Amino acid sequence: MKRTLRRSMMVMVVVVLIAGGAGYLSYRIVTEHNSWINMPYNNHILSEGGLTRAGSIMDRNGTVLARSVGGQRVYHEDENVRRALLHVVGDDSVNIGTSMQTLYRTKLTGYSFVWGLGLPTSLKSKSDIKLTVDADVCKKVYEAFNGQNGACIIYNYDTGEILCDVSTPAYDPNAPPTITEENEDKYEGVYVDNVVGSSYTPGSVFKLVTAAAALKYIDDIDTRQWYCEGVKNVGGTGKSAQVHCNDGYAHGTETLSDALGNSCNIVFAELADELGADKMTKVAEDMGINTNISIGDITVKKGHYDVKDADMNQLAWSGVGQFTDLVNPMQMAVICSAIANGGKPVMPRLIDSGSDLLSRVSIAIGGGKGKQMMDQTVAEKLGDMMRRNVTAFYGEGVFNSELEVAAKTGTGEIVLQGNGERTNRNNAWIVGYCKSTEHPYAFAVVVTNVDGYGATYAQPIASLALQACMDAEK
Amino acid sequence: MQWLLDAGVVAVRVILPLYAAVIVYAVFASMRRHRRPQKPLLTLKNLQTGEKIPVLFWENSLGRSRGSDIRVDDPAVSRNHCVLLRRQEGWMITDVGSKSGTFVNGDRVLSNVSTAENSFIKNLISDTKKNIKNGLRAVDDSSKYRTMVLIGDELRIGSTYFSVQRGDSFDGEIRSNRFLKKVSNKASMQQYKLMILITIFHVLMGVEATWDYYHNDITPFIYCGVFTAISWTVFFLSTVVMKRTNFELEALGLFLTGTGLMLQVRQSDKMAIMHIVTAIVGIIGFIIIVKLLENPDFVQRFRYWGMIAAIGLLGVNLVFGSVQYGAANWISIGGISVQPSEFVKILYILVGAGTLDALMTSHNKLEFIIFSAICVGELALMGDFGTGLIFFSTFLFVAFMRSGDIKTVLAALITASVGGASIVKLKPYIAKRFSVVGHSLEDPNNVGFQMSRVLTYTASGGLFGVGIGNGYLKYLFASESDLVFGIVCEELGILVGFILFGAILLLPIYAKDIATRSRSTFYSISAVCAAGLLIVQTALNVLGSTDILPMTGVTFPFVSAGGSSMIACWGLLAFIKAADERTYSQKRA
Repeated sequence: MKRTLRRSMMVMVVVVLIAGGAGYLSYRIVTEHNSWINMPYNNHILSEGGLTRAGSIMDRNGTVLARSVGGQRVYHEDENVRRALLHVVGDDSVNIGTSMQTLYRTKLTGYSFVWGLGLPTSLKSKSDIKLTVDADVCKKVYEAFNGQNGACIIYNYDTGEILCDVSTPAYDPNAPPTITEENEDKYEGVYVDNVVGSSYTPGSVFKLVTAAAALKYIDDIDTRQWYCEGVKNVGGTGKSAQVHCNDGYAHGTETLSDALGNSCNIVFAELADELGADKMTKVAEDMGINTNISIGDITVKKGHYDVKDADMNQLAWSGVGQFTDLVNPMQMAVICSAIANGGKPVMPRLIDSGSDLLSRVSIAIGGGKGKQMMDQTVAEKLGDMMRRNVTAFYGEGVFNSELEVAAKTGTGEIVLQGNGERTNRNNAWIVGYCKSTEHPYAFAVVVTNVDGYGATYAQPIASLALQACMDAEK
Repeated sequence: MQWLLDAGVVAVRVILPLYAAVIVYAVFASMRRHRRPQKPLLTLKNLQTGEKIPVLFWENSLGRSRGSDIRVDDPAVSRNHCVLLRRQEGWMITDVGSKSGTFVNGDRVLSNVSTAENSFIKNLISDTKKNIKNGLRAVDDSSKYRTMVLIGDELRIGSTYFSVQRGDSFDGEIRSNRFLKKVSNKASMQQYKLMILITIFHVLMGVEATWDYYHNDITPFIYCGVFTAISWTVFFLSTVVMKRTNFELEALGLFLTGTGLMLQVRQSDKMAIMHIVTAIVGIIGFIIIVKLLENPDFVQRFRYWGMIAAIGLLGVNLVFGSVQYGAANWISIGGISVQPSEFVKILYILVGAGTLDALMTSHNKLEFIIFSAICVGELALMGDFGTGLIFFSTFLFVAFMRSGDIKTVLAALITASVGGASIVKLKPYIAKRFSVVGHSLEDPNNVGFQMSRVLTYTASGGLFGVGIGNGYLKYLFASESDLVFGIVCEELGILVGFILFGAILLLPIYAKDIATRSRSTFYSISAVCAAGLLIVQTALNVLGSTDILPMTGVTFPFVSAGGSSMIACWGLLAFIKAADERTYSQKRA
């Protein structure tokens, strides 16, 4: 019998192995339950048990953008509000990855590890999300895009609150399109929030980066003068190495500030070559061009600045925002926030810290100070030059003068993916901030694929958007 | 008012796992109770030295080897000399092939080793011949070699003389094992109270099942009522009619079966009725098997019939089987589908176990290996990978428990892994099941289909579940059997899922702890192996459906929707029941 007892220890080995398996299973449950929940076939969150039991989403003024009534998810009654905030709020599907209703689907439906998805609605603590955006502002901006594609971001560089986050094209969440082979061109990129999810050729708005590098590394930069004849060979010989100013316009004698106002390609091309690839890259990376910043749980698509293998002419073009340069609108707004804040940005956020949801679950809402992007003196000089752009070059009249706008326009020639060939279609840009302490807005507007300039396409939208923000705060 | 109702149902959900834990604890705590005190059954007094040796077990090996229950340090004694065992009729002794012989009052006793020094192969052939002959006459009676021993008799083992004395003449200390230390005779919980707890648990499940949607539908309570009536009938039969002192194992089986039933009530009436019917058949089978096992020597005689029946049943299955759910392990008899392989599990353990004196002289290890190979081979041909694996691990348990031979186990493992690898190569769909382990969520609409759903809905249930009937996993094909762990986690919560898993996992620990208190090694071996089989099956069910092991499509004992497997599980539980020495000792009035 003793032998039998001893041999029966074998079964204990199996018990221990199985208990180990059970331990591993519980470890996986604890660490992976969130990703297990978020599967597209999970009927608890997709069918009548899903969004229709989810909390409401409101704008900064308490206007309800989406709520659940009588077993239905109901969006704002105004179609243009619905379209304007589609990418922020999301729709019934989980197609728009950065939207609140996709990102926080399980949290909105009241998921918790302890209770799963099974808690009756009456017992769920409120899962409402209050956003920092203003529905009226977004609606006006959406209408101002008037069918053009692009993105507009405005946020408060003191508090980080995003007031306006509009991405076009958009559709009505009440009537989501069925995308087929016939209409896929029309809806290309419709599920992407261009504010955070797209990057574009920056053109002249990138001169802010080159200017920052020049201010940092070139000692006599404040006193230096250039003479612009409209065309010049930079970093090479022959016609292919020519750098043109806009339509060959000769700017004459200029300081750095004049060159930024004139958006003189030749000056910034020469500066890029003078600084060299290492310094340009260092400054671009300090400003976060090649890194993923995040707005809470939303990861912003990173830009692109890579001149490792560039020849001198290509390096020159990289300094004026061409070559392979790409930037993202949110990133540009953050850089403007850094300029406004003495080099260290206040990061944007989309969720109001008073949201009910936050009392129950911990989610990253973003905001707070970012890391130092440039020296304070560089920030101040850049800010002054951007302000002078408006007062001396663009004309104070284009913005409400109370705002004291400091800005930089840009026209990025769209570079074909693959062969790097330039096209005659442009991305029209304007980025900047308001110096007015009453209205601390940092902004970036891009209108893509247009036949014209930043000043013509992007600046009117920015002007209207800033005015709308100002009006909304009254 | 809605919130009050909701708060009520949530309260029930929170209570259930705590309650389940209490029940499982009470079941296992109660298993230690009503034990006879750790006292010698008999005392052997060494007449030369005057040393008194306690005889602790029902079956004791005597010999010079270290592993002997009673070690006799005498060069004239063989390593395994004889076996002293207790039966209903009294104490008996069998010589197991000693060189110098065993004597009772001077008379040499019979040795149960028949033929002398033949070659291994010759031995095997003659044994098999004899076995078949005996088998056909249904006798393999090792008891005929036994000689009665009475108090006061004088034993001579080798050159050592013992006098047989009463157990209480031993006055030394006995070291008892952990499980049976400080055992009181007071039940931690009266058996009827345990039954009340279990009934309330099922009623609460009924409340949960009725609460949410079917405001006017009280069918869950009808099922609950029927099952409660069955449970209490079994309890009454056991305690009053058969006068058994203990009811824990039956209570555990009833608890799990009822829980499985209450999961069915919101799914399919047909399944629920099937669950009840097979549970009744299983319980009747349980009672019959426990009764049959009362005399291990009697059961031993039918070993060869068991082998023939097992191979035959699987053979019939192989020839007439129909393919259902991917494996040809079903046969249809008069419109009812049965899985013969489930019943073969019971026969298999019956064949594998043996009384100590039979074990000590059985040199035909090969016989059992061949028998096992035929069984596993037949299952492999059917494509029933899961049951094949269960049989194979049971084979390992039985082989090791019989011989203690680790070499056999290792050789079998190597053979199996080589064989397994070639099966995986031959059958790409099995290879796929292996490759998807750990990655089910990456391919949720193809090979990872079932596992990914189990994971998602397990997490959706949280610790306390979404409530009975509110889950979605139940809509998946065959989920009520193969994916039942996921349904438990989704509807009753992860806590209940793990408690049920744990309850099965405790069975082999219990079976091991009572191994030396069984009335024969026959019981110890069959109980440990039955428990081992049950945990392997449970592990394959739970870990296979949760992306940790390959999915094999086996059932969760008692909880999975009823069928052949339900009957087999009750049958296996009977082996553990029979191993408990309290089972056959009637309640004192």
